[in-house]
Amino acid sequence: MKNHMKWTLACAAASTILGCATYPDPASTREAAEKMVSHDFSAPAPGMLRRLSQDKSQQLCSKIGETKLTQEEAAEVVQLARASIRYPASGKLIGDWKAGEKLAHDGAGDRIQRGQLETRKGNGGLCQNCHALAPGEINVGNVGPSLTGYGAKRGNSEEVAKFTYEKIYNAWTYFPCSKMPRLGATGHLTPEQIVHLVAYLVDPQSPLNGK
Amino acid sequence: MRGRSLALALLFIASPLGAQNSGDGLALGRRMLAEDNPGELWIDRGKQLFHEKRGPKKASLEQCDFGLGPGKLEGAAVRLPRYFPDADKVQDLESRLLTCMVELQGFKREELVRTAISPPLSNGSDIEALALYITSRSNGMKVNVSLTHPKEREMYKAGEYLFHRRSGQTDFACVTCHGEPEKRIRLQDLVDMTDKKQIQEVASSWPAYRGAHFVVRTMQWRLYDCFWQMRLPELGYASDVSIALTTYLHRQGNGAVVRVPGFKR
Repeated sequence: MKNHMKWTLACAAASTILGCATYPDPASTREAAEKMVSHDFSAPAPGMLRRLSQDKSQQLCSKIGETKLTQEEAAEVVQLARASIRYPASGKLIGDWKAGEKLAHDGAGDRIQRGQLETRKGNGGLCQNCHALAPGEINVGNVGPSLTGYGAKRGNSEEVAKFTYEKIYNAWTYFPCSKMPRLGATGHLTPEQIVHLVAYLVDPQSPLNGK
Repeated sequence: MRGRSLALALLFIASPLGAQNSGDGLALGRRMLAEDNPGELWIDRGKQLFHEKRGPKKASLEQCDFGLGPGKLEGAAVRLPRYFPDADKVQDLESRLLTCMVELQGFKREELVRTAISPPLSNGSDIEALALYITSRSNGMKVNVSLTHPKEREMYKAGEYLFHRRSGQTDFACVTCHGEPEKRIRLQDLVDMTDKKQIQEVASSWPAYRGAHFVVRTMQWRLYDCFWQMRLPELGYASDVSIALTTYLHRQGNGAVVRVPGFKR
């Protein structure tokens, strides 16, 4: 109320379109929008509403339009990402490619509809939604780069496995604010699931590395 | 209907959405189906519902003001969302409809909200039919969302903020999937909402008949379903978040010629 009174007066006085086009300022917009977010959603359990609140990295990665991440911000995102990574208790980073193949093609889990949480054993890996996988697969997305032949190109050394594990666990460790979900860091996948995805990517027997 | 439908189909072929397709044949299938859009059937039902005396107050919606005066529907939808002084709020078509159904007809808001989005394979909800009928009265007219009222401008900026706001276990914002050309989720083409032509398609084709659900779907459903897929909590029907996003998207779609019902996979 007060805000737009001021705005009307400012615009009348300024008599330029430019001054009016900047209303409202980013801080007021942010405040108003965050208030909406806190009122406008429902969930089967109150704890699930926490999914809506942003962590520091998500805030930094929500730039509007052409606004770019500064070098300092990028460094902070990388630092937070690195600190988030947990490894499986077994210490083994290459699991079972068959389990990984199944996970990579599973796009379900943890969705909320009509007051119900989708219940299943674990969440799908969502890979197929955005990445080309084994050669010849047609029903694959292209939001992310093709992963066809990932291991055939890179091998399956300890180094490659570690990079791949970390990339899936928290993609922002290597690519700050990349579109790729931080699948391990946000809790969407467990470390035990991620090692199977690593196997699907690097194992020479995996169809992803076949002809 | 045939002639118009054919023209519609040709329009689809000429559209950038058609041109950018992955060549999977699905888009061609969608265009062929669109020639006989079953959504047309919802228009008559919406018209009947609009004029019928209904609800505890036994009133029609003929006194409902969608911004151009009571009962004036011609060209009303192309200007929505807009600020309504009586509600002192920016409202989209569906939230305005709720206001009228509650105040003029005496329906209970919670009940309307609960049933607004119909289950797949159902006969559809009254609100879906009404939203389509009212929008169809703007067919052939250009989307023209104005931001002259400060509250409209506030809604627009909030929508822009929300469109870019990443959250949840997938770290998604709307722009994550809708900010680049020629992208797909599996075989489903994604609309690039930073492209003028493509955002115009969004602003002018809802409500639409959704083939996979066999019902007419509205913009409120479209937004709700995106948040579902993003693993976020359920977006409230006609909530401010939904109105802010719709204001942001429709404003950018200004100039698009409305043709509803649209046809979606």
